[in-house]
Amino acid sequence: MTTRKLPLEVSAGRSRLLEVDGLVMRYDTEAGEVSAVENVTFSLGRGEAMGLVGESGCGKTSVALSLLRLAPDNARYQSGSILWEGVDLLELSDQKMREYRWAEISMVFQGAMNAWNPVYRVGEQIREAMDQHFDPPLNKSEKDQRVDSLFQLVGLDPALQTRYPHELSGGMRQRAVIAMALSCEPKLIIADEPTTALDVIVQAQILEELKEIQEDLGLSILYISHDMAVIAQVTETIGVMYAGKLVEFGSTREVFHRPRHPYSYLLLSSIPSVTGPRRRPVSLEGTPPNLLAPPAGCRFHPRCPWATEQCRTEEPPMMEIGPSQWAACWNSEQVPEMGEQLP
Amino acid sequence: MIRYVTRRLIQMVFLFLVFLTVTWFLLYILPGDSVALKYAGNPNIPPQAREVAMERLGLDKPVLIQFRDYMFNFFQGDLGVSFNQYPRPVVDIIAERLPRTLVLFLAALVTYYWAGFVAGKYLAWRRGNRGEMLITVSGVGLYSMFLPFFALMLIWLFSVQLGLLPLSKFLDPEQWRDAPFMANQVFMRLFWVTLAGGIAMFGASFFALRTRSRRLERGLKWGGFVLAAVWILFYWWGTESGQAMRVYAGDIGFHMILPVLTLTLIAFAGVMLLTRSSMLETLREDYILTARAKGLPEGMVRDRHAARTALLPVVTSLVLAVATVIDGGVITEAVFSWPGMGEILISSVLSEDIPVAVGAFSFIGIMALVGHFVVDVLYGLLDPRIRVTEHG
Ligand SMILES: Nc1ncnc2c1ncn2[C@@H]1O[C@H](COP(=O)(O)OP(=O)(O)O)[C@@H](O)[C@H]1O
Ligand SMILES: [Mg+2]
Repeated sequence: MTTRKLPLEVSAGRSRLLEVDGLVMRYDTEAGEVSAVENVTFSLGRGEAMGLVGESGCGKTSVALSLLRLAPDNARYQSGSILWEGVDLLELSDQKMREYRWAEISMVFQGAMNAWNPVYRVGEQIREAMDQHFDPPLNKSEKDQRVDSLFQLVGLDPALQTRYPHELSGGMRQRAVIAMALSCEPKLIIADEPTTALDVIVQAQILEELKEIQEDLGLSILYISHDMAVIAQVTETIGVMYAGKLVEFGSTREVFHRPRHPYSYLLLSSIPSVTGPRRRPVSLEGTPPNLLAPPAGCRFHPRCPWATEQCRTEEPPMMEIGPSQWAACWNSEQVPEMGEQLP
Repeated sequence: MIRYVTRRLIQMVFLFLVFLTVTWFLLYILPGDSVALKYAGNPNIPPQAREVAMERLGLDKPVLIQFRDYMFNFFQGDLGVSFNQYPRPVVDIIAERLPRTLVLFLAALVTYYWAGFVAGKYLAWRRGNRGEMLITVSGVGLYSMFLPFFALMLIWLFSVQLGLLPLSKFLDPEQWRDAPFMANQVFMRLFWVTLAGGIAMFGASFFALRTRSRRLERGLKWGGFVLAAVWILFYWWGTESGQAMRVYAGDIGFHMILPVLTLTLIAFAGVMLLTRSSMLETLREDYILTARAKGLPEGMVRDRHAARTALLPVVTSLVLAVATVIDGGVITEAVFSWPGMGEILISSVLSEDIPVAVGAFSFIGIMALVGHFVVDVLYGLLDPRIRVTEHG
């Protein structure tokens, strides 16, 4: 069976905005090839919120940057495609790709605290993006108006736009980054660890607001985080990445209720439970493999408590588990149930 | 900003007082009697004449009184008279020499900073290019060259072998025999005219950085350049005084080429490597990724975001450059027989013309302090983070 295509149909019916199909991306380094994105397939619908989780170093940022074609210079796309409304972004000219950036897909970067150039005022940096993407160009008062309303939308005093980044608090800067990401009316926002650097309360507030804005404006959003708990609150579908591969994909509800890949299970188990029954103390030991020489077979087998001989030699394909759940595991039925409600 | 500037000014005056005191005592006290011996201890001078001379120079008074008088006079603009060119006032000598040094080194400084910054910017931007290795290696090679040796090599090549440029000195005496102008008069005119052009160019590129339209930015940059060129051409060809002085100004300019070239070649690699590493660091910043993600054209990412921020440590390094230029200046002036402060400093110290030496040192000190101050203010203007912390 051709299991590779399956995740594309996860929310059939909605028109597909983004379809990543069999994407393989490696980094050329002096030490060899780093297999950072290995045969990753998923899709995202209009207005949909998807999450991508995995420990640090699993290739989440590499996937995100690929969508904007902003991966570092040593990135090599070996195969696969990234279809944006049917157009393969990997085939676009540089000029055309530049037009797509921010106008179609914008991004809130990992460590968005440093997303501001310290020498320009925040408002100026937002206007700079708007200057590129409107045809006919916005005039001064249109831009002013737009920045004002964006600031209000993210809960900031519009007067703050004349401040320099260092004059704003972390939370304000992050809100302003979101305002900037919205400035050219993109269809998709990629939020890579958008709140990692903030304290928990501000983090929760911002996530909630972002969720609200997303729903109000009908945006699609791709949340990237190493923290399952964060992703669960704000997404409808979820992809779990391990060592450059997508190991599980499905509706957030299903994956949380009954993860079918041992890695997802162990990731979830390591979230401290506030509600729900006490869980068996299962922990995720070890670290993700060196992607210069990933393990043969299933990349997770060295850390997997359920690993068998087959796992060491044969690579598991994405297999359909349920109506909206796929996992790449030979022994997915052995993975225990979480016994926990969605947070 | 005003408070910041005032505070820095007060600091500067204080520092200068300390510097001047130390210099004075070092030069007057350490050689001890040798001052008196050299001038007034000559056995061929009768004792009466000697006493007269000592008294005339004020050398008979106690040291502290001499010091008090010196400081008192200094701030009234009287730095005493030269022993060797008696009774020429030291101020007069410095007024003649200082502009020559300033202009030569400002020209060199601007040229090599500009060349180094542009080269460093492109090296970082096109990293891994074939040319990179070549430029870096030759830059470092030049940078580690011994200045006098390199200067002599260039003199040998351009003046002796190729005969393209003058060997040394500040002007060609043959040509100036019946000149209706004083050399310094022409020189100062040359300086002001060029400075005005430079300010126009700098101003235009400053505004260019502020515009958000790439086309306007480019227009302003070239516009500033053209404006400066037109102004300079107009002055020397279009105005009466300019026409009259043109030949002489040309001669001085011609004599400046080789020293400026030498200093530039030897020093630009330092700026280039600093810019390159600063720029490479900046390019790794998240805001560069953001700028790209916003769909800004690459040139805008490079100039407005990366280079603009990468400029900050380069501006800081100007403080060190001021020091380098001063000590390199002494050597350069000696090699090129450039009659400036460096040359007078060496000759006055060697011939124990103490008033001139103290005067020269104190003005070199002033140059260093003013240079430092200018850099500080410039940095404050370029980095909003400093601007705020400093006034608050
Ligand atoms: N420019 C690069 N060159 C070589 N390896 C890289 C580069 N960028 C990232 N990597 C490697 O690729 C893997 C995936 O990184 P990344 O996409 O940043 O993961 P994540 O966002 O999940 O933390 C990591 O092993 C990382 O070390
Ligand atoms: Mg990451």
